[in-house]
This record gives sequence, structure tokens and C-alpha cells, in this order.
Amino acid sequence: MSDIRLEGVTKRYGTFAAADSVDLSVTQGEFVTILGPSGSGKTTLLSLIAGLNRPTSGRIFIGGRDVTNATAQERNIGLVFQSYALFPHMTVLQNVLFPLGVRKIGGAEADRLARDALKLVRLDGFENRRPSQLSGGQQQRVALARAVVFKPDILLLDEPLGALDRKLREELQVELKQLQRTLGVTTLLVTHDQEEALSLSDRIMVLDKGRTQQIAAPTEAYLRPANRFVAEFLGIANFVSLPDGRQGVVRPERVRLAGAGQGQGQGQGQAARVVEAIYLGQMVRYHLALDDNRSVVAAVPFLGAAHAPGERISVSWESADVWPVT
Amino acid sequence: MNRESIGGSIWARRGLAAMGIFGLVFLTVPLVIVIPMSFSSARALTFPPPSLSLRWYETFFGDPRWMEAMWTSVLVAAISSVAALLLGGLAAYGLRRGTFKGRDWAEGNFMAPLIVPTIIVAIALYLALAKVGLLGSLLGLVVAHTLLNVPLVMMVLGVAIREFDQRIEQVAWSLGASWGYTMRKIVLPNLAPSVFAAWIFAFIGSFDEVIVTSFIAGKFETVPKKMFNELILEVNPTITAVATLLIAFTVLALAAVAIVLRRAGKLKDTVV
Repeated sequence: MSDIRLEGVTKRYGTFAAADSVDLSVTQGEFVTILGPSGSGKTTLLSLIAGLNRPTSGRIFIGGRDVTNATAQERNIGLVFQSYALFPHMTVLQNVLFPLGVRKIGGAEADRLARDALKLVRLDGFENRRPSQLSGGQQQRVALARAVVFKPDILLLDEPLGALDRKLREELQVELKQLQRTLGVTTLLVTHDQEEALSLSDRIMVLDKGRTQQIAAPTEAYLRPANRFVAEFLGIANFVSLPDGRQGVVRPERVRLAGAGQGQGQGQGQAARVVEAIYLGQMVRYHLALDDNRSVVAAVPFLGAAHAPGERISVSWESADVWPVT
Repeated sequence: MNRESIGGSIWARRGLAAMGIFGLVFLTVPLVIVIPMSFSSARALTFPPPSLSLRWYETFFGDPRWMEAMWTSVLVAAISSVAALLLGGLAAYGLRRGTFKGRDWAEGNFMAPLIVPTIIVAIALYLALAKVGLLGSLLGLVVAHTLLNVPLVMMVLGVAIREFDQRIEQVAWSLGASWGYTMRKIVLPNLAPSVFAAWIFAFIGSFDEVIVTSFIAGKFETVPKKMFNELILEVNPTITAVATLLIAFTVLALAAVAIVLRRAGKLKDTVV
């Protein structure tokens, strides 16, 4: 278990910078997610840390050791890909034994470690299956067991749940979080799924065009985004003008609705028309048009009755719920 | 279900089937005629054979010159196919996995012997081997056949390597396995059926080769070269026996390839 530190890590392909002087510090046992749209350079960053690629400039430290020029073999990392990347010709047990064999751990001890790792991902009893005989979720659990069985210094996960359907993904999110907490292994996850980032991580790093946009705890980044990109990438953002001419962001849950003419709260209500009402289970999401044609999204708890499209209502928010962004 | 709606009019489908059958017959009849002729007892080439015998097989196996040609063919095919497998395999791996400059150029260069007319390759090899003093030598023949077979190996293995997820190798490295260990324990076991297929194709490719061999082999006779020469001198029924043996060998080898690839579920991926 080790910390990870990136100092000015840059990777250029010709004139294009896939990673542009990125600094990041992950403390021991922390779970950090690199979040960004496709092409933001998040996978490049992960491959640099894994040693599958070399940075153009900057330095990478794992456990205080400068590994910038170390090969992937020398870094002692657990790596999990979206495509599972199991060894197709080996059984589940042989897959998990592989990193132990490389480390000259054999016999009863290797067997015990491998079986313990499989138990940890609830796959005991599947030792002699082949990867092709397992479901996607089971295959990804084998990949996890294989990545942690040799007690790696750090765990790197590249969109590990991206190939699974929604329900399974949510189940595995919980398991992944528990596994990480049990082992206390420093973990870096890469994803474009903001929900996954918000629910799993101690901190998230939002990346765009190879540059760090914000590093913060999930709630912090959601409620106090560093800039417009972060505000828009993490959930839905309503942009409003502040009295000092700056722009502010209001999250949909902070928007209040009332019947037309019945202004509510301290902020004076603005007249609006309901364009669309989308029922989401516990919540209803309203797409509203203000009278000056700006649109606002509101999310309110569903309490049995909803506003209908075309209905005129009053919209307001607390000034304390507006976060200024640049 | 309405059949017409799928395959067009019944006449169009019958026409297509007739053309297919005609094509198949056109390709196989010469092979099929040669086989009974090889078992003929007649002194000259006649069809149908008046009665059956193994005399032409006896002539073939009893003739030291044929046996020597056979030995040369097997030796050259064995060495050049393994050399082509090594070189073509490494080239295919480097071209599929690498991201270096000039990759397309390098690939084109490797594939050239398959695309350039064989006669041009033959002349080029003639001049090149003469320059380095290998013209008419066994080594020169092996080098030439290796060169001709590298593109075949690259085609078969290139597809197989592209189909094999690179991240599987990357995970192996991250787990601590060296490049060589990953190659032996992960990549090769998964590519084994394709490696076998590539080797067979290269072996047959060398065993069949006659144009380049005629130019550069000098005093060495391979089986196809000797067949060609015999045909020019006199029409000798021994050739039908040799041809039948070659057909049998090729059919068996390709059947082995088909079985191995089907067992690996890879038949659909392979360029044949």
C-alpha cells in the first residue's frame, strides 16, 4: 500500500497534449477517481501510471519511489480493464495464481492466497471454470481477485464496470467499495460516468483536454464546481447571472417551485412555463422556460401530484444556493 | 415464408446454383482425372485407364532422382517454413502492436512478394542471389522460399494478433510477467491454432513453388520443378502419381488446419 504522486506529468503526441502538466497526490488507502469525457486524457494518465506508456515530461512516484522510467513489471500494481482481459486459456484459479507464479510463490501458500482472493470477490466454487463460462460480472470479479491477490502497492481500474448493465453495475460498485475498504489499497479509478465517480470516491479529479479542472471531494465538486466545465459535467447545472455580473450555478434540487403568483422564500419568484415534466421515481424533473426564454431545470420530490406541461408556475432559489463560476 | 422474396426469382437462384456447380466442376475435374490415371497400367497417359496398377508409384519411389527431388523439397519446405514463421510472426506482432513511424511502409515491403508478379520476384532474387554468391545453392533456395512465405504467415498471424486483445498482454506485464514470459505463457498458447495454420500454409507454399525455384535453384531439383521439366521432355505417367501424392498431402494438411481452427473457434477469422 502506497501513495501516488504525479508532478507536472505531460504526454504529447506531436503537438497534441493528451495530458498537460497534471499534478495529483493520492494518499495511502485513498480512493480517487479520474473523471472526464472521452478524449479527456484520463486513460492516457492511467497508462502512464501503470507504466504502459512513458510521459513526455514530469515525474511519477509510487510509495515515494520515482517510477517514471520503470517498466510495468517493476511497479507492483493491480490493473483492471473494462474488457476484463482474463487469460482465456486458463481456469479462474490459474488466472489468479498467475501473478503469484511470476513472484515465485507456489504450492500450498499460493493456493491459499488465490482461494482467499476468490472468496473475497464471492467466487469460491468457481475455481475450475473457464472465463468463457462466466457472466460479465463474474469475469470482472476474477479480474479484481487477480489484481489484488499479490498485495499490489496500488490498484488501477480503467472503466471497470463500463461493460456491465445498470443493475449489475450498481451491485458491483458496492462490492468494489467494500473490497477497497477491506484491503485498504490505494485505488485510482478512471471513468466517464459521473454517478460512479460521485458514489465511489473519496476525491475526484475532473479532467478535460488533458488538463486538471478540479480535485475535490464529490460533494464539494458537485456543489462548488471550480468552473463551468465541472459544473456542466457533474450533473445538471442551471446558470444564472449574479448582481456583480458573474455567472452562478444552481443545482436542480435547489430550485423551488410554487403556483403562479405565490412567490416563495426570500428570492423573488420568476414566472415560468412548464415545458416538460419527467417522472424519475422518487423525483420529478421539470424543464422550465422563463419569460425571457432562458431555460431552467428543477428536480423536486414526487409527492403524488405534478405540474403539467404548459402550466404556469413561479420559480425561485436562495441566493446561498448559487455558486459563482468562471 | 415466401422463398421468392428471399432469393429473388426461382430462375435467378437456379442460374446462380448452376454457375457455382460449373465453377466447382471446372476446378476439380482436372484433379479428379489425374487420380485414376495415376493408378493406370498403361504405358502412356490414357483416360480412362485400361486397368489398375501401382506401377507409376513404384517408378516414382524407385527412382533415385525423384527421391532426391522429394528430399530437397521437404528439406527446403521444412527450413523455409519455420524461418518464415519466425520472421513473419515477429513482423506481424511488431506491425500490429507497434505505433512507430513508417509502419505502413514496412508492412507494404513485407507483403510485396505476394503482390508483385512472381516472375518479377524471381528475376529480382536471381540478380540478388547472384550478387551474394548464393545462386544455385540450397541456402539461396531456402532464403528465397522464406521470403515468399513471409507474407502468407503475416496474413494469417496478423489477423490472429489483431483479434487478441492487447490489454490481456498489458495485464500480464502489470502482474510482473516479462515480455518473453507473456509471449510463452499467454500469447502463444492462445495463438497456437493460427501458428499451426500459418506454418502449414508456408510449408505448402514452399512445396508448391516452381517459378522462382526454376530461376534460382541451379542443379537442385525440387518435386514441382522436376515435374515441370519432365513434362517438357516427355509425357511420363509418373507425373500423375506425383500429382496424386501432392494432392493427397495438400488435402490432408488443409483438413488438419480446418480441424485445428474449428476446434479453436477461429475458422471464420482466418484469411485463406
